[in-house]
Amino acid sequence: MTTKQIHSPQTSILNDPFKEQQHHEQEQEAVNRKEEQLVHIIPSTEKIVPPLNFCPVERYLYRSGQPSPVNFPFLSSLNLRTIIWLNNEDPQDSLLEFCDYNDIFLQFAAINPDGGEDDNPWDGLNEKSISNALKTLVNKENYPLLVCCGMGRHRTGTVIGCLRRIMKWNLASCSEEYRRFTGSRGGRILVELLIEGFDTSKIEINEATAPEFMLNALR
Amino acid sequence: MQKEELSELLKEYEIGAIDINQLSEKLRTQLHLGKNGKALASLKDCPEFLPLANKILSNEDDSTDPLKYNTEGEEDEDQEGNGQEFDEDVDDKFDEEEQKWRSKHFLAHQEHTERDMTQDHRAPRTVDASFSQEMFPPENFSNVIGEIYRSSFPRRENLQFLKKQIKLKSVLVLLPEEYPQDLLQVMTDNDIQLFQCPMQGNKEPFIHIPDKTLTNALTIVLNPENHPILIHCNKGKHRTGSLVGCIRKLQNWSLTMIFDEYRKFAFPKARALDQQFIEMFNTKDIENVSMKNGWLPIEW
Repeated sequence: MTTKQIHSPQTSILNDPFKEQQHHEQEQEAVNRKEEQLVHIIPSTEKIVPPLNFCPVERYLYRSGQPSPVNFPFLSSLNLRTIIWLNNEDPQDSLLEFCDYNDIFLQFAAINPDGGEDDNPWDGLNEKSISNALKTLVNKENYPLLVCCGMGRHRTGTVIGCLRRIMKWNLASCSEEYRRFTGSRGGRILVELLIEGFDTSKIEINEATAPEFMLNALR
Repeated sequence: MQKEELSELLKEYEIGAIDINQLSEKLRTQLHLGKNGKALASLKDCPEFLPLANKILSNEDDSTDPLKYNTEGEEDEDQEGNGQEFDEDVDDKFDEEEQKWRSKHFLAHQEHTERDMTQDHRAPRTVDASFSQEMFPPENFSNVIGEIYRSSFPRRENLQFLKKQIKLKSVLVLLPEEYPQDLLQVMTDNDIQLFQCPMQGNKEPFIHIPDKTLTNALTIVLNPENHPILIHCNKGKHRTGSLVGCIRKLQNWSLTMIFDEYRKFAFPKARALDQQFIEMFNTKDIENVSMKNGWLPIEW
């Protein structure tokens, strides 16, 4: 079938069963295309599964545990630009592929960049790695943004806690938020000490590039 | 029912040692009897006190503020056929006294620091200034989606945060109790609109929250004209949690993740009934309303 036939006038269709069939298929195709476009508008019956410990922190800023393939449809709906991965080890290959496919910048915030051989996967964050993550967080060009670690508990909690300190939240509220996501074993004192001791002046806030919630907090 | 204590109080009232206001106050504080209907319900165990209970009830009704919100019709419907109220968790009840005490305590402390600052000019200004600028979000505060937020009952010291950082436009309260006047005043001054959708706490036995109540609340919450909006009850655990669960249902979240979020915010007092309520809530009505207005999908 040539392209010319596709656009042929309808008059000839009625008498030709083959063409009628063709026409019908074309129509069906058009309907399918339309439905595809509508998928974004009409809620699908498929259940949405956000990642473990997922929660919005501020507008366009989210936190969670390590996303797995079952969460990808949900993650796509967030239109993420950056994911901060707070772990020395690489995340699952599926997540790397997902980021690649969706043009998401995956930032590896190594826990202990200078650790060398002393580097342990169970170590908490240190001031340097927190600063690294926060420098990304205070630039609106990186948003929408997801901060995550293995379970979305302690390391993610540390970074978000320090972000709250920059936003001038009182320590009790930072700690309350951190503990909300730590599960049954509760919070770690070491994490809270890090949040309390974090020197907020170390993070430079540039008015031109800071996200709106940060400007609201500092004005 | 602490019958002895009750008789003692009544004797005091009869001999004129205390007046009716003091009596109802004592009933509330000493015997932990609720206001209005709850006092009456508890007194039903002792029929001889019933006339007096009715008197207390009418007395309390008279003293309620004329500025009360016009939500009574809705509330009546909720409680239809119930006849009596059940005592709720301490958490579920809004304790104005406690609220006031805490705020007073806090504001006094802040005033004190500010006075110190003005008196002693040699004091290292940066340190003090950073204290007075410190932000106090309400307990259990979090973003839900887009510009929808949740929290416990905000106190006066939280309003600066809500105004400055969140730029709040409206508040939806899920409690039937009257809103404290001072808080209301500050909110009016800051152009924050208050909506009230009274919901009963999901406690056994047989409290039924009609889907209509939730649909009404969601119609307010989802309307972008009201954003940024804060949803709150007393602790931001049960009622707020149920409402947020229903929002998640509209987002088509899997129930497991909805419950997980509910439990996180309700910790350590998650209620199976709330979760059951979320599961049984029929989203059809609110979906229709939202579709008509183009509110779905809710934007992140």
